[in-house]
Amino acid sequence: MQDTNSFSTFYHDQLSGLVEQIEMERRKLVRRQAVGYILTITSVIALFISMQSDSQGLTIGAMVVLIAGITLWAITWEGRKGYVRHFKETIVRKVIEFIDPSFQYHPKGFINENDYKRSGLILDKHDDYEGDDYVEGKRERTFFCFSELKTTRTEGSGKSRRTVTLFNGLFFIADFNKNISGRTYVWSEANPQLDFFKRIFSSVADGLEKVKLESTEFESRFIVYSTDQVQARYILTPSFMERMLRLEQKLGTGISFSFLQSEIYVAVPVKDKLFEPTFFRPNDYESVGDYYNTVHAVIDIIDELRLNDRLWGKE
Amino acid sequence: MLIAGIVIILILLLGLSLYNGLIRKRNAVDNAFHSIDVMLRKRYDLIPMLVDTVKGYMNHEKEVLTRLTELRQAVIAAPMAMNQRVETDNSMMQLFSGVMVSAENYPELKASENFLRLQGAINETEEQLAASRRFFNAAVNDYHDAIGTFPSAIVAGMMKLKRISYFTIDDDKKERPDIKLS
Repeated sequence: MQDTNSFSTFYHDQLSGLVEQIEMERRKLVRRQAVGYILTITSVIALFISMQSDSQGLTIGAMVVLIAGITLWAITWEGRKGYVRHFKETIVRKVIEFIDPSFQYHPKGFINENDYKRSGLILDKHDDYEGDDYVEGKRERTFFCFSELKTTRTEGSGKSRRTVTLFNGLFFIADFNKNISGRTYVWSEANPQLDFFKRIFSSVADGLEKVKLESTEFESRFIVYSTDQVQARYILTPSFMERMLRLEQKLGTGISFSFLQSEIYVAVPVKDKLFEPTFFRPNDYESVGDYYNTVHAVIDIIDELRLNDRLWGKE
Repeated sequence: MLIAGIVIILILLLGLSLYNGLIRKRNAVDNAFHSIDVMLRKRYDLIPMLVDTVKGYMNHEKEVLTRLTELRQAVIAAPMAMNQRVETDNSMMQLFSGVMVSAENYPELKASENFLRLQGAINETEEQLAASRRFFNAAVNDYHDAIGTFPSAIVAGMMKLKRISYFTIDDDKKERPDIKLS
């Protein structure tokens, strides 16, 4: 993978021209949106005055301006979607290709819902499942994929109806470097999944036992359940626990892990959309560098957890 | 009279619950020790593989290989007390480590596919054995907490439950074979 210095060279050699084009598109949209705002506000004021003065001409004029303002808004809204698509297809794709040309990027793709459910990282049932910015590839010997995901559930009815976000962030799957057969879950203490009721009713809870580990720091950050006490410790060696803690410090509180069917699943809660371009702030070296750093940080999970260190019997 | 009866029943239920809890914890220790036993046997099975792989290359370590084979035979021939088992296992591991370190002096051996596979297998077994040891020690810790704290300590005393040694390795014997990951 490339380092930050070579990213700087890459940006100035290959990206700055494209970013400039995208910037022109953005500025045009911002101007259009500003005109839409002005027309709408002016027409509303004009309508108010016309109602006071009973002027028919002013009313008709204000209505025409209002329609023009709303039309401009609608056009800008469509234009924004096109701008986001264009940005991802050119800038984000180029950044990912720069990191490794073999990586595949699908702006509209996302992690399969079955994988999300199988991971057991978020046990609450969701009503809506959406995502984007799917990346997959092979880092040395380790296959990985990740995408942004958002899952929500609707609660209540009538006026008390509300949407609860269950997960919003990055969801990462990779080959694990050891042969494992059981299920081991490392949930964040900030978001423990297995409460009293889920222990009784959730199928994930079948055969799970709490695993007490030696590291007090790890125990204070995570809560571990597994179907196999020995295997949980085979996965969570003292050095691996330290690496997981380091990863938590780097990516933020709330990160959870699960290990099943020789794969590792990682859920990283993030508030913002990570790969969306800014609309009201200019795109520049710094903002594009943020996309580069984000992709790097995710792929670094493989290096941080040393998933490329393979043991006998696991290729 | 009725109150006294209820109190006696409650005390009996509490005693029964504590008794069952202690039995479960002791069984967990047995179960954990069994998992160590399984891993140790896996490790013993690697010794003939190691001897077969290296004997054609190593000329100066024949005595070590013979001693290693003898120790393996002794440990699988007759059941040993846990402490003796740990001692024998540690002696084997020292010899084992010695052979692996000596292998550095034989470039052809180091490059052979069998040896590389063996290195991988040893590393895998060591990781699993370490996990089993940690599980055993966690189970023993739980058990000690139960037999040493009130009120289960009273029931444990009546059951004559004793403390169990942790599975520790002396610091000078903690060395593991020097294995490079492929």
